[in-house]
Formats: sequence, C-alpha cells, structure tokens
Amino acid sequence: MGRIKKKGTAGQAKNFITRTQAVRKLQISLPDFRKLCIWKGIYPREPRSKKKASKSSSASTTFYYTKDIQYLLHEPLLQKFREQKTLEKKISKALGRGDAHDASRLERNASRPEKTGRTKYTLDHVIRERYPTFIDALRDLDDCLSMLFLFANLPSTDTVPAKMIARCERLCLEFEHYLIVSNSLRKSFLSIKGIYYQATIQGQDILWLVPYRFNQRVTGDVDFRIMGTFVEFYQTLLGFVNFRLYTSVGLVYPPKFDKVRDDQGAELGAFSLEGNGVGAIEQPKQITNGENSKPDPKLQAEIDKLMSQLNQPEKEAEQEPQTSQTLAEGDEEEQPTDTIDKFEPAAPGGDILLQPSYSATDPSTLFSNFTFFLSRETPRQPLEFILKAFGCKRIGWDAVLGDGAYTHNELDPSITHQVVDRPPIQVDPEAAEQIEDNQTAQKLAPGSRVPGRIYVQPQWIWDSVNDEELKRPDLYGPGAQLPPHLSPFVKKVRGQYDPSAPLNEQDREDEELEADSDMEEDISGEDDMAVQQPKLLTAMEVDATAEGMDIAGSEDDESEEADVVNNEDDDFGGFSEAEDEDEDETADSALQRQRELEAELTGVALEDKVANPKADAKKKAAKRAKEEDEELERAKMMMSRKKRKILEKMVYSNKKKDGEAEALRAKRRKIEKSGKGAPRA
Amino acid sequence: MAPSAIDRKRKSVPAEHNETLETDIESEAEFGDGLLEGILSQSESEDSDEESNAEEESDEEEPELDALEALDSDEIPSEDSGSESEEPIGGLVKSNGTKTAVVALREKPLPDEEEEKPNYTVTTDANGGERYVYEEIDPVYDSDDSDAPITTNTIGDIPLSFYDSYPHIGYDINGKKIMRPAKGEALDALLDSIDIPKGWTGLTDPATGKPLNLSQDELEILRRIQTNEMPEEGYDPYPATVEYFTGIEEIMPLSAAPEPKRRFLPSKHEAKRVMKIVRAIREGRIMPYRPPGERQEEEEETHYDIWQDEVPRPDHIMNIPAPKIAPPGYDLSYNPPPEYLPTKAEKQAWETADPEDREKEYLPTSYGSLRKVPGYEKFINERFERSLDLYLAPRVRKNRLNIDPASLLPKLPRPEELKPFPTVCSTLFRGHEGRVRSLAIDPSGVWLASGGDDGTVRVWELLTGKQIWSAKIGDDEGVNVVRWRPGRDAVILSAAAGEDVYLLVPPIVDPETDAASRELLDKGFGHATNATQALTANGARKEPVAKWARPGSRLEDEGVLIKITLRTTVKVISWHRRGDFFSTVSPTAQKSAVAIHTLSKHLTQIPFRRLPGIAQTVQFHPSRPLFFVATQRTIRSYDLQKQELVKIIQPGARWISSFDIHPGGDNLIVGSYDRRLLWHDLDLSTRPYKTMRFHQKAIRAVKYHKGGFPLFADASDDGSLQIFHGKVVSDMMENAQIVPVKVLKGHRVKSNLGVLDIDWHPREPWCVSAGADGTCRLWC
Repeated sequence: MGRIKKKGTAGQAKNFITRTQAVRKLQISLPDFRKLCIWKGIYPREPRSKKKASKSSSASTTFYYTKDIQYLLHEPLLQKFREQKTLEKKISKALGRGDAHDASRLERNASRPEKTGRTKYTLDHVIRERYPTFIDALRDLDDCLSMLFLFANLPSTDTVPAKMIARCERLCLEFEHYLIVSNSLRKSFLSIKGIYYQATIQGQDILWLVPYRFNQRVTGDVDFRIMGTFVEFYQTLLGFVNFRLYTSVGLVYPPKFDKVRDDQGAELGAFSLEGNGVGAIEQPKQITNGENSKPDPKLQAEIDKLMSQLNQPEKEAEQEPQTSQTLAEGDEEEQPTDTIDKFEPAAPGGDILLQPSYSATDPSTLFSNFTFFLSRETPRQPLEFILKAFGCKRIGWDAVLGDGAYTHNELDPSITHQVVDRPPIQVDPEAAEQIEDNQTAQKLAPGSRVPGRIYVQPQWIWDSVNDEELKRPDLYGPGAQLPPHLSPFVKKVRGQYDPSAPLNEQDREDEELEADSDMEEDISGEDDMAVQQPKLLTAMEVDATAEGMDIAGSEDDESEEADVVNNEDDDFGGFSEAEDEDEDETADSALQRQRELEAELTGVALEDKVANPKADAKKKAAKRAKEEDEELERAKMMMSRKKRKILEKMVYSNKKKDGEAEALRAKRRKIEKSGKGAPRA
Repeated sequence: MAPSAIDRKRKSVPAEHNETLETDIESEAEFGDGLLEGILSQSESEDSDEESNAEEESDEEEPELDALEALDSDEIPSEDSGSESEEPIGGLVKSNGTKTAVVALREKPLPDEEEEKPNYTVTTDANGGERYVYEEIDPVYDSDDSDAPITTNTIGDIPLSFYDSYPHIGYDINGKKIMRPAKGEALDALLDSIDIPKGWTGLTDPATGKPLNLSQDELEILRRIQTNEMPEEGYDPYPATVEYFTGIEEIMPLSAAPEPKRRFLPSKHEAKRVMKIVRAIREGRIMPYRPPGERQEEEEETHYDIWQDEVPRPDHIMNIPAPKIAPPGYDLSYNPPPEYLPTKAEKQAWETADPEDREKEYLPTSYGSLRKVPGYEKFINERFERSLDLYLAPRVRKNRLNIDPASLLPKLPRPEELKPFPTVCSTLFRGHEGRVRSLAIDPSGVWLASGGDDGTVRVWELLTGKQIWSAKIGDDEGVNVVRWRPGRDAVILSAAAGEDVYLLVPPIVDPETDAASRELLDKGFGHATNATQALTANGARKEPVAKWARPGSRLEDEGVLIKITLRTTVKVISWHRRGDFFSTVSPTAQKSAVAIHTLSKHLTQIPFRRLPGIAQTVQFHPSRPLFFVATQRTIRSYDLQKQELVKIIQPGARWISSFDIHPGGDNLIVGSYDRRLLWHDLDLSTRPYKTMRFHQKAIRAVKYHKGGFPLFADASDDGSLQIFHGKVVSDMMENAQIVPVKVLKGHRVKSNLGVLDIDWHPREPWCVSAGADGTCRLWC
C-alpha cells in the first residue's frame, strides 16, 4: 500500500488560490493587486470543481491560478509598488513632523501619474512578456484601440488628466496615419454606438469602435482608476506597436508633430511623416505561436468564403470572383504580378474549388481619383480618415471644420464629390439668382449646387468601402431616403436571415405557404389584398390559390376531420403509423366518391379533381412534421441523459435563432407587401 | 468665554433693535443714582446693598472716568471695608457679579489702587517708635479666584422676560428685591447719545438686564491684542536663559568616566556613507544637484523595437485568451433595414424590462441621416464593463459543439421495419367491477383469464371479448393474481385471493381435456396425507405451511377444485415450465414469503428460511433449473439442484415491482416503482445494460413475448403501455438491440393507478393489459 495522500496537496486544491490568499501572499494592497492583474493579464479562473478548489467551507469567491500568482512574486513592478509605498510613508511622516522641506524633497521623487500622467516605472517588460511576438500584440489590439480612442475623446477631469488624453489622441492619430499609409483599413460601419473600423494588419483582423464626437456622458458608477490602469498599459502597448508598424513601412517613429497646426484643429494633418532612409522592412515570415493557438485567419477566411458560396445558388458562384472579397489578399498584394488565371467551371455539377482571387478594386485606389469636399455638417474626422485610408489624396472641407484641408473653397473646380448631410432646401429661383449675384467666392447659396460634381451623403462612402466598389450615387443624393446601412461584419450563415438577399431565396420551403395562409385568414374579407398576391407568388401558385379560394370551406372541414382522426389516434398511440395515411386516404377517396355521386345526380360532369394543392401541401407538411417529431421523440428515448440534455440545448438555441430569423422575414414580408420599404442597394 | 459668546449672539439681533437697546442702556446708566435715592429711604441694610450695587454699576457704566474719578468712586468701597459687618455682603455681591470677565477684569486694578493707598496705619508703639499696623487681610472665599464666574445674577438660568411685569429682577441674599435698573427718558437718551462713553458695547447683560460695558483695562487688553502685543502687561516673552549646563568645568565633576574615544575620533561609519556618496557622484550615478525644471523635460518616453528578437512561445496550457467583443450586427446600424426596427409592443417591452433582463442593451433605431445620430449614452459604461470583464471575470474554457444536433441522435431502425408489434386496441373486455388486478392468456391462445378487485375470476374469448365463464372465489378480497398452468395437456387456472390459492378447471374445454385436468389436480390428494410432517423441537406436529383442501361444494360445482390456504396474502403466482411446480409469493410473510408448491404431491415447501428484504416476485428460469427471487433492491438466482446462490443481480432500482426472463434465458427485464425499466444481460454484468425512464409513473409489470417475436412491454401507472423491440442476438459479442416502438394509450387512470398487468399472446404479436378502470384490452 502506498503512502496515504494528504488532502490539499495536489490537483485542483493546489492549482487554485483565492483572491484573499493571493493578496496575502504578495503582501500588497488590493488596489495594487488589481493593477498588477490588469497589466500582467492575470484573470480569475473557474475551477472545474469549486468544492475541490476551495479549502474553506464557505461557498467561495474568485480563484486565481496558483502559478500565475507565483510568477507575480518575481515581478519587478511589485518592488516598485513597495518603494512607492515606503516613499508615501516617508512623506506622510515628514508632513506629520511638520518638515515641509523634507516633504517637498521627497514629493519630488514620488511619481504622481494621476497628475503628471507619467510614472516611475515602465511596462515595457510586461508587454514583451505578454506578447512574445508582434502578432500576439496585434491579436490583442481590439480592446486597446477601443479604449484609447474613447479616452482620446474624453473631457479631462481630475481623474483623467489632460496629459493622458493628449497622449491617447496622439497615439491614435499615429496609428491612423499608419493605416492610411499602408492601406490596411478594410471595413467600417456606422452604428448607433459609434463607428466600427476593421483593419487587417499582417493577417490579423483588428476591430475597434470609435465613439461619435460628442461629450461623453460620465456616470458615477464608472471607476476611472481602473480604466486609467488599462489606459496606462494600452498606451505603452500602442506606442511599441506603432513603432514597429512605422518602421515596417520605412517611416520614422514618432512622426513630427506640429503643435501649432494641432491647435488649429488639423488633427491628422498635424503630423508629418518622414521616411527613415532604410525603407520598408520586409517581413520574411510572420512569427506566430504556432497553429495551435488560433485558427489560421486565412484558412478561416477561406472557410467563410466557401460557406457563403455554398449559401448562394450555383449561378452566383460563377460570378463570385468579382463580388467576393477575401481577407487573404494581403499577402498577394505585395506581388506586382497581377494576372492570376481564373478557373471557371465549364459544366455545372463539379465541386467548387477555392481560387486565389483579387477583389475588383484595390482598397488603395478606391477613391484615389477623386477630390472630396466635406460640408460643414458632416463629421470631418472619420470622413477624412476613411477617405484617406482608401486612397483619396485631396480632401477639402469647410473652414469651420479645422485646419489641414486640401482646400477651404467650396467652388474649387477640382472637386469631384461633395459630401453633404443636410436636407435639400427649396429656394425660389429669383432669390437664388440674387444671391448668386452678390455671392463671395467662398460661399454658395443654400440649396444650390455646383454643376459637374457628385453630391452624396456620408453613407455612400461607407457603403462603397464595405462593398469595395463605388455605389450608385443617385441612391445617396442629398435628401434621398438612404438604403439600409448593413454591417459588413456579419458572416452569412445558412438559415440565418440575410437582409441583402431577396426574401424568397431564404425562406423555408413551406414558410411562405404558411405566411400566405395566415394572410388569407387575415384578409379573407378584403378582396383587394388578394390582387396583390401575385406579386410574390409564382404563376403556378397563383392558380392554385385562385382555385383554392373556392373550395376552401369544404377543404377545411376535411382537414378538421383528419385532425379529429389524428387526435383519436393520439389517444391510444403515441406514434403515427401507416394507418393514419390510410385513413386519410380512405377519407379522401370517400369524399371523392361522394362528389362523383352528387355529380351524377345533378348531371353535371365532374371536373377533374381539383384538390387544393396548397391545402394538400399544407396537410402533407403537417403530417411530415408530426412524423419527424415522433421519430425524434423515439430517438431521444434511446439517448443517454447527458446526450439528451445537450441535444435539447442545441435544439432550443437553434429554434430560437430560427425563430428570430423567421420573425425578421415575416416583418420584411409585411413591409414589402405594404410597399413602403426603403430601396435596397 | 461666556460673555463673548453672548456678545456675539447679541450682535446678531437686527440693528434697529440695537438702537432702542442703546438708548435704554444709556438711560439706565444715568439713572443709577436716581434709583439709589428712591431706595435709600427704605432700609439701612438694603441701602448699603444697593449702594454697592450702584457702585458697581457706576463702575461699569463710566469706564471713561479718569483716574481721579475712579479714586473718588472707590472711596465708598474703602469706607465699606471700614464697616466690618457690611464687608462680606459686598464681597458676596461681588462674587455674584454679573459677568465673569467683567468682574475679573475689574478686580485687577484693585490691587493697584491699594498700592497707592497704604493698607496700614502708622502708630507709635510703646517705645515711641513707629509702628505699622496693617489691616487685616480679608480672606474672602475665592477672593483671588479670577477664573470662576462671579455672577450677580440672582434669578438663575431663566429668561429675563419672566420679570417683564415686575419692577424688580430677582432677589438678593436677604430676600430683598433687586430693583430693575431704571430706564431713562427720551431726553436723557438723547443726551447720552451725544457722547458715547468709552467701553460702551451697546449690549445688555441678558442675565441681569444691565448694560454691558467694557472697562478701561479690558479696552487696554483689546488694544494690545489688536496691535499684536502680549495681552498681559509686563510679560516678557524672551527672558534670559538660565543655563542648566554650563561650559564651566566643575572642580568636582559629576562623573569621573574618561572622555569616550568617539568624542575625538571621526566616525568611521559616517566616513563610509560619505565615501559612498562621493563615489556615486564620481561615477555619475547621482547628480549633486539637478534643477527641478530639468526633471520635467527629460521624460519623453523612448520607443524601440521591443519585438526585435521575437521568439515564438507556445501559449501556456492553462492560458485562456479573453474572448473578443462580438462584431456589430445589422440591428446596430444607424440606418438598419426596417425589419430590424422594433414594433411598438417590442419597444414597450424593452423599455419596461429591467436593464438586466434585456436581451440587448440597445434598441435598434433608425436615424435616417448621419447628422441625426446622437452620442451613445452608455459608451463609457460599456467600455468599463468590458475592462471589468477583462480582469475580473473568471474565465473558463467551454467547448462549443458546432455540430448538427441530428448527428447526436442514435440511428434507430424505423418502426415500420420492426413490425409486427401491437399498435391498436382491437378488443375491449368489460365486465369487472373495480380494478382488474391480473390477467393471463392461456397456452393455447384462445382464452383470456382475468381476476379483479370484485373477487371474480373470469374467462373471456380472446378475439371476441365475450365472457365465457366466471366464478367468484374471493368473498371479501379481490383476486390478486391469475395464471394458467403451462402445457397443453390440461387446462388449469390458478388464482389467488387473500391467503388462498385456488386451482380451477373452467368448463370451457372439451370433456376429455377437462377430465384430464381434474385428474391432474386430484392426483395429489393421496400424497398430501401420506407426507410426513416435520416435527418441531418439542416433538409436536408442526403446523403445515399450507393446507390443500377442497374449497366447498358451491365452488366445486363452478369448477374450483382445490384451495390452498397459506398464512398470508398471496400476491404472485409463477409456474414452472413443466407445470408440476408453481411458486407463490406473499410479501408480508416473514419467513414463508416464498413457497413452492408441487401439484402432483399437493406439497408445499418453504425454500428460504430467511430473505434479505421483502420478497417481491419470483420466476423459474425458462430452460435451466434456476429460480429467481426479487426482493426490493436485488434479484437473486438460485440453483435448485445444487441448492446454492448463483448470482445477485443489482438493477439499482429502489423498489422492484416485477421482472421477466427472456425466453433465451440470458436476459432479464426489471420494472421498478421508481419509473425505471432496466435490461440486464446476465452474461455481461450484474448491473443493467440499459436503463430506460420513459414513464411518468411507476412501472407495474413487464413481460417478454414468449412466442418468438423480439418484443417486450411494460405497463405503468400513467395508463400507458410501452412496446419495445428487444432483439437478442445469439452472437455473444453483440449486445442486444433495444428500440422503443410504440406507446399504447387507452386505459384511464383511476386513483393514481393505470395499467396493472400485462400479458403477451403465446404466438401472435398481441398483448393484453389489465387496467384499473375495470377493463382489459387486447392490442394487436
């Protein structure tokens, strides 16, 4: 017999440590511990068995991985915290003695990051530790960018020093400059929360959210000390990332910053980039942490594409290469050769192979030939950024929007596109002429347009960017009702509702049928709606409905009868069997015979049996559904309880998703019927 | 200090009121004398009292009087001091003085005055020389206590307004009224207002109603405080120090210890520390002086390529990266497709819901134009929540099954492929009153016997549902069980009602078989009498465990031939396949729960002296000499030849209700009251091979089809039967395949009982069930 194992020395009991124990072990205060956790990326875990992990009887708390805490013990920052603590003690002691001179001398040594925005310590080693490769850092950049962009837009308070905000703003603008230079911005989306951007840098998709330029509402339940700790770390991270990115495209980091222009509101224009004379550093290969860490983004993109292809009908798949955009194009971009042979299926039926593809438009050239002018009411910063990121070199705007414009003159003849976001004003021509007479060079009469230029609303830019092609500007004219702005981030999944696809493509087989019958019931009184129906239905179905209306009454009775039979059957038998069908059929034939007899009596030739195909289909569908249900029930009986639970969960969630999609489809059907839907791009 | 506090309070009263007060006080001050006159005439003692009072008043009221006048005014006290009797009174009055500060301050100058005026008289002594006769020192109580409040208030701590309607305020020590200080008239007031006396504060002492004026000394103190001097005159803040230790070497030192070395050697430790600093300065580690401005300048953070020599490092196995924020969907758009906009009802539901209960934290809204989009209110909050999640939320790796749920379902053959099995109720057997407890189809498959709570045994024609024969065997007890004897040579039905087991030959068959059956039953009567009875320890005849007898002529006529009386109620009868033995179970009996009866010998034996637990049911093995006994939790199989325990089967059920053995003999199904149906493979394990829980209520009976179809069925209290396809493969390597094929519903549930018994047709895939609703049903 082996040694008796002592309890709590191995396994989960040893692997996990509660927060209190961790704090006690590190001998620091809770706020310091919090800081360390945030910077070092240490997070609580959920042990597989809480009971085994907690040594106390009380239902416990948060658990940390013991090894994490052990690594923390050697953290240089811990020493800094301790030094800071002793310094604070010395200062308070000096003040208590009334030794002001000594206190002020010590105070000079103390770091007051909340005042100066500068600390005694650096987080460089932490960044190196957390992100051993550059790709790792890029992978984790989402939260970093969202946070820094938010802080760049915050008002300064005593908890958020102005220096911190200024630094955030600079870092963000520097990052934007890189995106502009490298053309790595891919998608953007105007949401109600803010503007989402997605960039692809070295194959990593980075998605972040930038708030609209409004004063942020700061509520009391937000602890800015925690946010500040994050920001401190993220600033360091983005600084290093920016350095690496700039050097990779052969630029000097940090770029020159013109304080004067920045004060005039130039923002992006306040920076001047300069080459470092070395040129772009070729990244021979990306160093990643191996395949196990994450699915390969390229592979993922291809899978996505394949999925979308599968969802689309065959004929669309053929013209796929023009419309589809892949995320894997990044590496091909660098090759100068443009020609890739396209393999087109000669005959349908073969498997679809993945082909390397170019998108129709290079993101760097989408707007490169245009000159834009931004009207006063448009948001200048996001527009400037997105236009520049997609190749536009000349952007002018109204002088009130700040410095850094290509031109402030609205009448500049080189302007090809003007972005406006105001309702069209009806101006009577005489007044307009009058104004035209005495107008200055810079001003234009309200409501009047400069000929030869395209007026669009801002959404045109976003939609064009997301679809990687220039949209029809007439849909986006000033005052026009805009087509819906769709998120480019939603992956098309089979069975999910897709607002861009036509409705009849994505219906379930019998959904329309059901919807129609529902509608019929709804509008049985109204005749005019029946006229509208042909719009949606195919010709055959129209016939069917037309006929179906006549004999609807009798049909209903019959189906009810059938139902009754079914119900009776249910009483003594859970599962349906052939008898059901037989009974239905016999009932049908009896009815048929009855009709024939009646026809004979009246002497009228019986027209071919016009059994309502739709009702038939409906009945059949119902029967099929019932059979399937029973089959499922039977199969479920034979599953183990665990598996059954899993299945039920899956079925539940699938059903919920389907229900949502169905509700959306129903809504859309209704809207389309009423004919007041917005135009779809 | 109390007075100053009162002063402050006083000052807060409106200015108008102050002015009226002023005039009042002025007049009062002036009328101190007039008042005196009025009082003098009254009495001597009072007079002096008032006089001193008046003196004080005048002291307070005329602080401006110069020294001469002060001397004059002080004449009276000195005179008073001369009259010994009056002195204490004056002192007392003083001690009762209105205001502590005022009085204390006023007392101060007194010694000065005394200095000027000699407190002695010069007389000649007996020798003719000068002799100074000093006045006796008057040790008045707290005479030098300047701190204690000396109050002249005699009314106590009550508002002055209580005396408003009286001419006096309070009483003195002698019980005389202290008259109210007089109020002046308008002219006097006017006169007074012309020259405001020095020290005038314009306040009235609330305790005495007298005007509150500052004395000269008080004014002096105030002046000193104002000019930042010491308030006390003549206080030297910097007295010459009196040295405690002097540099002068004493001739006789206090200690004779020699001077320590450290006094005249430089400290090594200090030298070390200094050298450390010096070295640091030389090496440039510390700067001797750095201007503070420089500090701010140099802190431009430096950036470098931190990933210059990056080495991929596989993630720690326990590392769980934070999940990314989900990308925005269509409904988050500022201008979403119209189908994403909430309807009015949805909107209202969202608004009324608690913020925690909401599925989405936002409401899809269409703004139509970008300029109309407002700032998002919860932006900071959401980001804050996200950062909290990043460092505070416990992370756990969850495997998401991204598979089609259909792939989890076991592949079952379609029920159509497994036909035949009973599907519909074809015949209904009505006739029993009360529950039908038990039923059985005879081995030929023509008749159905049933027994119920009404005490009758009935025989029906199976296909038509016609009752052919019935006999009432239980008078007050129901028939618990009916079973046919196996074998086609005779038709014998066994039934149990109460403690009695009856063997019947229903008159339904041809006379030959009938006669054969009767003969078979009667054959054992000789054996029964011949059987040697066991003797108990004391030699007496042991009472037989069962009595085999004729049931009586009435029953005999009906076809009931033998009655076996046991000790307790019999619940189960189980026949051996050869038809010579049958076993009964009476669960309530302690020792004789299980009895084995031999038909040919009319012999009853008790095989088990003791059973672990209450016996539930028994079965003979279909081919081998094995005997299975089910107790509450386990089923034991015994070898009847070797008379030993072979196996204990543990289904794991709480309470076994019934079990049946597969005709092949290697499989077993067990039904339990805790709703489980368990399939045991006897070769495999003592634990169940499959557990099925498809009933809502207890399972009462389970039965295999014995005639070649791979079917079995169970009957439950929820009123349903479930038919299973259970194919046992002869190949040892393959497990039995069990497929549920049919749920038969039809019996009504009556007082929580549904279907009580079940039996299969010996050849056809039909089954019969006995219901608590008084019917039997044939399903085919």
